[in-house]
Amino acid sequence: MAASAGPRPGWSRRAQYSLFFSFLAVVAGLVIGLILLILSLAAPKTYATVRGAALDITAPITGALSEVTTTITGLTSGAGNYWNAARQNAELKRQRAALMRRMVEARAILEENQQLKAALQLRERSSKAVAAGRVVGSSFESPRRFAVISVGTSDGVAIGMPVRSPEGLIGRVIESGMLASRVLLVTDRANIVPARILKGGLPVISTGRGDGTIDVRPLEVGKNPFKPGDIIVTSGTGGLYPPLVPIGKVIRLDDDGAIAVPIADPSRVSFAIVEPPYEPTALAVAARPDGEEP
Amino acid sequence: MVRAALGQRGASLGRGPRVGADYVPAVTVVAGSMVSLLPIVSSTGWWPDWGLLMLVAWRLLRADAWPAWWAAPLGFANDLITGNPIGLSIALWSAIMIAMDILDRRTMWRDYWIEWAIAALFIGLAELAQWRVAAVLGAAMPLSISAGPAIIIATLCFPVAAFLAARLDRWRLGR
Repeated sequence: MAASAGPRPGWSRRAQYSLFFSFLAVVAGLVIGLILLILSLAAPKTYATVRGAALDITAPITGALSEVTTTITGLTSGAGNYWNAARQNAELKRQRAALMRRMVEARAILEENQQLKAALQLRERSSKAVAAGRVVGSSFESPRRFAVISVGTSDGVAIGMPVRSPEGLIGRVIESGMLASRVLLVTDRANIVPARILKGGLPVISTGRGDGTIDVRPLEVGKNPFKPGDIIVTSGTGGLYPPLVPIGKVIRLDDDGAIAVPIADPSRVSFAIVEPPYEPTALAVAARPDGEEP
Repeated sequence: MVRAALGQRGASLGRGPRVGADYVPAVTVVAGSMVSLLPIVSSTGWWPDWGLLMLVAWRLLRADAWPAWWAAPLGFANDLITGNPIGLSIALWSAIMIAMDILDRRTMWRDYWIEWAIAALFIGLAELAQWRVAAVLGAAMPLSISAGPAIIIATLCFPVAAFLAARLDRWRLGR
């Protein structure tokens, strides 16, 4: 096959000039693109308005499509639930009995905890949700891990606010339009969360790995403190994320840290709850472009 | 009597391009970018950038699918829709247009394998650029879990984009 019909304008002077100007224009496009790219690398806040507006236009499409898929999956999984209802029923009864026992224990621990807290006179901060939305989409063609949620500045969402689900931490808001926001997931490489191991309370640092898992490292060098099955929760250090929100569960150890899977899987969570920063002053720090936590 | 008159009614002979045929390629590139709006919540980012695949497929099929400088606004639309840092696709897609112009002058002939190799080269460079930019923005990841699988998957998806572009080209020109 011959090469595609290339730029061969023949003898027409007009065609030659138009081809040449088109070439100049694409070079100009390249230069403008590079300048814009350098700007967005050096000062990501420059485009906040434009990107917020783009989110407002695109997120409703994703939201509507997401409704359709939810309905369809609901229909199929609903049918699947009827398929082996008897076995599921027995299983659920057994789980319920086990959970009842655990609940009684937890109730006792809660009361003891309250007494101890009263003795220590710890302040209880009420965490009030700013807004609750659904996770409608994600950046599945980019190495970064972002999700789009269906609440925006009109619901009171601001850049830097932590996002969680009832199960655990999802991430924090990095862009917000009027109707939708983009969330930096805990699995993103740039999302560094101060955390601790639930059992024992050893402080660790949680960093995303970009492939759906989380890398956890202890703050102090020494013996690897992790065990498979350990639950990692936020420590509240830095003041952005509220303490004791589950982040992940350790699945594998490596040389001086461990790899965990997030407990709040953004593809499964029903609701994303946007909360105000635990310490209000943390918002300014969280909105910094380099995405580093103090 | 011309032979065309003997053909079936509705045959495509004597029919010109469809209305707006000049804009069909650009519209399909934007539609490709909009694939990222599908409500897929994935834990990995290995899925191909369909806007880029359509752009490369159209440009390999025809040099005159659009004036070369349209790559910049198309890239801007892609950046806004997919959430890339603004400027990344503008620069990359304009560079691909220039590189294709040079390639068109240098290559004597092409076949499907060469086109696939050229597309793989552009896809690889684009993914590596995206990976590099992510690293500059504080998300440095090993190649084997980010750009590597993405390049392989996108390269394997390219024939689909090439097929779509060829079919749409026939349709828009009324053939």
